[in-house]
Amino acid sequence: MSMSKNILGEIKDDIVHGAKAPIRAGREVVGTVRALRDGRASYRDVGLTAGATLGAIAILLIILFPLYYMINVALAAGTGAASLYEEGFFASPTEYNLAAFEWLWYESGFFFRPNPQDPTVSMWEAFTSSFLANSLQLVIPTVVFSFVLIVPAAYAFSRREFYGRKPTLYGYVLLTQVGGGISIAALIAIYVVFNQLGILNSFLAVAILYAAGAIPFNTWLLKTFMDNIPESYEEAAIMDGASRWRVMWEIVLPLSKPGLAVVLIFVFLAGWNEFILAQILLSADKHPLSVGLYRLIDEFGTPWGQFSAYALVYALPVALIYFFSQRYVESGLSFGGMEG
Amino acid sequence: MSFSSEKADRSWVAQRLPSKDDQAGLLVLPGLLTYGIFMLYPIMYLIFLSFTNAGGAEDLIQGTYDFIALDNYGRLVQDSQFWTSMGVTWLFVFVSVVLKIFFSIALALVFTHDRVRGKRYMRALAIIPLGLPPVFTITVWRQLFSPARFGIVNEVYINIAGFLGQNPEPIGWFFNRWMAFFSYVVTELWLAYAFMLIIIVSALQDVSSELHDAAKVDGAGYLHRFVHVTLPAIKRPVWFASILTGAASFQQFLVPFIFNMGGPRRQNEFILLYGFREAFQSPPRMGLGAAIMVIALIFIGMFMWINVKKGRLAEGLSDQ
Repeated sequence: MSMSKNILGEIKDDIVHGAKAPIRAGREVVGTVRALRDGRASYRDVGLTAGATLGAIAILLIILFPLYYMINVALAAGTGAASLYEEGFFASPTEYNLAAFEWLWYESGFFFRPNPQDPTVSMWEAFTSSFLANSLQLVIPTVVFSFVLIVPAAYAFSRREFYGRKPTLYGYVLLTQVGGGISIAALIAIYVVFNQLGILNSFLAVAILYAAGAIPFNTWLLKTFMDNIPESYEEAAIMDGASRWRVMWEIVLPLSKPGLAVVLIFVFLAGWNEFILAQILLSADKHPLSVGLYRLIDEFGTPWGQFSAYALVYALPVALIYFFSQRYVESGLSFGGMEG
Repeated sequence: MSFSSEKADRSWVAQRLPSKDDQAGLLVLPGLLTYGIFMLYPIMYLIFLSFTNAGGAEDLIQGTYDFIALDNYGRLVQDSQFWTSMGVTWLFVFVSVVLKIFFSIALALVFTHDRVRGKRYMRALAIIPLGLPPVFTITVWRQLFSPARFGIVNEVYINIAGFLGQNPEPIGWFFNRWMAFFSYVVTELWLAYAFMLIIIVSALQDVSSELHDAAKVDGAGYLHRFVHVTLPAIKRPVWFASILTGAASFQQFLVPFIFNMGGPRRQNEFILLYGFREAFQSPPRMGLGAAIMVIALIFIGMFMWINVKKGRLAEGLSDQ
């Protein structure tokens, strides 16, 4: 059963497959040249394919230009704003160095706050008050809460019939794409409610808020995943005398791994990227990485080298996870509701 | 496994499981309650707030505010800023959705084309913007649109103009209403195309190649085949994605917030930003802000309603 294969294993296969891509491409080029020489392929055909591929690559490069731009700025010598631009953008910086990353490590508050070189403060203390530590304290409970709330509900929606199932699911579907908008629209009220309950400035409360916002979309997403698992597997287990809960734990959940992976990514992204709620509901010493990044932006002189270094270290791990699980995300987003 | 045997399986399982299992409802309840407490309760509270003249948060906590019924709404109808922000938000929804559809279909056609080699890798790279933190992405775009000469968009513009023998001044993107609006649209396009690309690509892969081949044999050109074979097949997913992405455009908050606070002179203040500013500016006007947000929520709900009705997102709910 390929579906139950370990996700990490599949991702590893993807990486290996991807790393071998240049070899395959090289072989194809050699094969094509031979075919041309032997007259097995027409020049027109090969030319069109090469042209189309190059065109597609050019389009891709234009689309992804902003990413290249950030990496370039982060590595450019100096951390000031002006150094890169004196000769115009298209002139490459004359010198690259890691000054911006040194700043990131020692002074930015990303990993340590205050400076880890300060002898009066231990590394651990400096780490625990960093933006990164704050972000982790937000994201980990967000993921845990989301899973506890989403997974059983998705299973129940997919496999059981119960009172109020249809209207609830209908409501969830209605709410799928409005999470962000609702939390900003309700921000005023959320702020006041949090204040009244005395839970302002609590990582846990904000984490539950994030998890709550993620419930409709992700529950529905996971439900559509589980709908596609044939019920015959469960039938076999029930025939062998497995209880209903064992069927859920040992059959349905393992088979839903790709779906669980997508939900994990979405929930993690929601907690990791959000910043407007965190900025309003948490005090400055509890701000996560996203707010730290935002605070670097200054109308009159954002330190671009520093900003880029910060942003890259902040965004890159997530982007990489995203890249390697892209297959699951694609299959997750191309859910049903479109057939017919 | 044939279709009919799967149906038989289902009835077999159904016989073993109770037809109604209200215990299973308990699995849904925690999520529902959490959502209710953290999202629906604040929304109720928001609606209540919109009928009061509450100023700041202290007012609400100490109860120093009055119930003023529909006064906030009446005030909004007469406030020119409300109409400005409604107008500019809807214009943004319209312009950005149309561009997103064209751009994403074009990209999807390129990245699924038979002649393009390595398209799976290209697609994996092309959807990376979906995984990037919005604060990061939007700030990069703000930098690209920097009004100074070194802003990359200005740089390209000046280079092209120079090539044509002219020597224009750099454009002050954020200081002119429509220039700023244009920069928002481009940024939104970049933020959202990946989502649509995924949906359209998966729809394109379901288009039957037999139909295409048949059309080819009949001598239909590429454009003909696109209009008569491809387009009808991807109509539903495109419609579905447009509504979702339209809802996203309507809820756009961070782009105007980070670029120039909806400026210049609040001319590009989208509805959520308008409400946010009224509620948190100094002096704060939370009651009025709440009324704006309630109106925004009504429109957001409308998008979802249309999608469920027309896009039949909830299809399959009824036959279970």
